[in-house]
Amino acid sequence: MKSILQLPVLLLALATAAFLSSCASKPAPKPAPTPSTEPASAPATGRAKKADGKSVRPSKNPVDDIDTYSAATINDPLEPLNRVTFEFNHQLYTLVFRPVSKTYEFIVPKPVRTGVHNAFENAKYPVRLVNHSLQGRFDRAGKETQKFFVNTFVGVGGFVKHSDRYPELADLPSADTGQTFAKWGVGQGPYIVLPVLGPNSVRDTVGYAGDYALNPVNWVTLVFGGATWIIAIPSTNSVRSLPVQLGVYDAATKDSLDRYLAARTAWAQNRAEVAKR
Amino acid sequence: MKVRLLPILPLLALCVVTARGAASEPEKRLESAVNEVIAVADRSSGPAALAKGIRPVLQKYLSFDAMTRRAIGPGWKQFSPEQQKQATQLFTTLIIRTYSGKYTPGERPAVDFKPASTPAPGRVEIPTTILYQGSRYAVSYRLEEADGWRITDVVIEGVSLIANYRTQFDAEFKKGGPTAVINALTQSVGTTE
Repeated sequence: MKSILQLPVLLLALATAAFLSSCASKPAPKPAPTPSTEPASAPATGRAKKADGKSVRPSKNPVDDIDTYSAATINDPLEPLNRVTFEFNHQLYTLVFRPVSKTYEFIVPKPVRTGVHNAFENAKYPVRLVNHSLQGRFDRAGKETQKFFVNTFVGVGGFVKHSDRYPELADLPSADTGQTFAKWGVGQGPYIVLPVLGPNSVRDTVGYAGDYALNPVNWVTLVFGGATWIIAIPSTNSVRSLPVQLGVYDAATKDSLDRYLAARTAWAQNRAEVAKR
Repeated sequence: MKVRLLPILPLLALCVVTARGAASEPEKRLESAVNEVIAVADRSSGPAALAKGIRPVLQKYLSFDAMTRRAIGPGWKQFSPEQQKQATQLFTTLIIRTYSGKYTPGERPAVDFKPASTPAPGRVEIPTTILYQGSRYAVSYRLEEADGWRITDVVIEGVSLIANYRTQFDAEFKKGGPTAVINALTQSVGTTE
């Protein structure tokens, strides 16, 4: 408990350090790019490589070309169980989450929803700051801090994403704990479909717990144990994220032949990409 | 903050102008494809109307033959010419529906083109950032030169459209060869949801 209460102080110290480092005239040295930990993570973008490292010219025969077209995969030894959980989640999303999401979209006007979304994303600043720092990307941590200050003070508490007006802040990659583990060389581990939360891996589930603890929105729950009077903020956070989350789920599974496989591949590819950023 | 950014703004503007000035053939091609799609979407009242109006545009700019071949993978060799034709037709419909289903009428995306890379001769990958409904997405377009430059894959936030179907087709193919793939495609195209 005590360590959780100390977290904001630690974060403030980190933020100050990061901000100062970014303001210095010399940019922080970039660490060497970490090779991806996934064995088959790189979607083939053309040339295949032979074992001796020489590139192979793409063949004129289109069927030979397609052999190189592989994407990130993830080990799924628990597939039968995962499929059951996945279908349970699908029903839960359809029967419960979707109506809640639609109601939220119906009651709350679009500009307000966008503002609320922006504010909650802005509040997740410690998640991004700590992880950029743990990955040794102090340049990004500094920009993240600039972004937070711009959005909090110019963007009225984060409701307006003022930072989008500056290309270097708008295109700043996000960071999360699972990504930090990936950069440290921790493998994904098996694929797991979590009840309610959906696709994940062993590594990223631990990462999710890290993100949860670093998100100020959840600090009240962590400290006060979810007393009813204080639960409003985390609940609002869950509801506001529903339209976005369901949008991502639909984009991955709609028009699929097998929605379980579609969601798994999309998740694995996206996480492999995030690990490379 | 503003002070830090101000001096580099003219430089950035210059970069944009230079990039535009030196736009290669595939970049011009992609840009006109995106503009035509946006123009059709602006005229459409909903996803169904969009799917209908967008078909000729996509057929002009996408290579559905290459996309189907890639999505099916090495098993393609075991398809008869008739089955190949049928699979291509079904997959085309599915792609068009996927494309139009993601669109809400009246919401105009802002597309920012980044410098292209050439992973292999005759292939180009053009990264873009798309601002749509308040969110930013990293979207890469893969183009190939065959009968002019044509789009062969779209990679959204690291997720390749073709690789995603490839996993599903592989599973179907292992179950029952070309027939299973075509049956699964027919079923998916027939589902209105």
